[in-house]
Amino acid sequence: MNKKLFATSLLFFFIIQANAQLGVMKLVGNGTKDYKMGFGAFIKTGFPVSEGSDATVEIGVDIFPMDGGYGTAMCPLKAGYRYTLDGTGKGFYVEPQVGFNVYGITSLQDKNGEDVDLKYHGVIFAAGTGYLFSISNISFDVNLRYETVIAHGGSNNLVSLGISKSFGFGRRDTNY
Amino acid sequence: MKFYFIAIMAMILFSSCLKQSIPDAMLASKNSGGKGSITATLSYKINGNPVNISVADADNQSLYSYYTLDCSKNTGYYNIEGISNSGEITFTFYTDSLTVGTYRRAISYYDPFVTSYNGENEYLYAPSDSITVNITSYDKGHISGNFSGALTPMIAAGNPYNTYGTPSSVLITNGSFKNVPVFY
Repeated sequence: MNKKLFATSLLFFFIIQANAQLGVMKLVGNGTKDYKMGFGAFIKTGFPVSEGSDATVEIGVDIFPMDGGYGTAMCPLKAGYRYTLDGTGKGFYVEPQVGFNVYGITSLQDKNGEDVDLKYHGVIFAAGTGYLFSISNISFDVNLRYETVIAHGGSNNLVSLGISKSFGFGRRDTNY
Repeated sequence: MKFYFIAIMAMILFSSCLKQSIPDAMLASKNSGGKGSITATLSYKINGNPVNISVADADNQSLYSYYTLDCSKNTGYYNIEGISNSGEITFTFYTDSLTVGTYRRAISYYDPFVTSYNGENEYLYAPSDSITVNITSYDKGHISGNFSGALTPMIAAGNPYNTYGTPSSVLITNGSFKNVPVFY
């Protein structure tokens, strides 16, 4: 019951004021050469904590396909602190994030030729930078991020390039 | 703000040093019963000539060809086998239950060759021949230990009789093995 209440509150929060983001991404590091370019979709929201900085919350889905219908999918839930360099809430910013991989699954063929589904969670650390701007009163955010998911003594590391556009049923002048 | 950013960057750098992706780490752990990826080694000298065998991720040697380094269970005995480009060695232990301890194998006309080195086979053939294996640990399906022996070379294969060289003239010294997986 508490989980449902939390999920409903989170969904309501996102709907009121949020950014929809699309991104292309690439897994990097050991054991990633078989992965193709990945893609992701996110919803991100936040609230101001000072003149030029915001606390942010983001949830999304990352998908990294491989040949043969195999691949990896992860659902990161992250909290971050976005700090615009000139303190205006627009322009260039940096954003460290921490979070939790709500659900991760990798489907692959092991060395014996058997299909294996590996499910995991894990903690997430990310560091990103981006640029906030507006066109016709619609806010956009172009960003570059490095993210790592740690679980079971290994890590999935990715580089992501994304663009987001604000939407919502509340304020329309948001930067988020 | 600066502190948190630096802390997160430090965590990212730390995690990037992890040598495996999450799926690789999970597979290695699954296949080794939780011990992680294990490298098995076996080395010895045959008449002073060194032979070294090392197998990374030894628990995942291909099932569709022969193992490079393993200990296999058979009815009434175990067999350790190591294969390299320069030599091959086989130990046979006549026991139903492999435990830490010393096993000595002497002359047997029914044994296969014990070693080969540069294409020549050596056997437990003469009464003075033997090979002694000391298993010092047997943990989570992997054995470690040492061994030594004296064997007789086969000069030429024949029918019905082979031609052998000087008894006990092939010496196995400085033999050791570590983390050799036991397959059942």
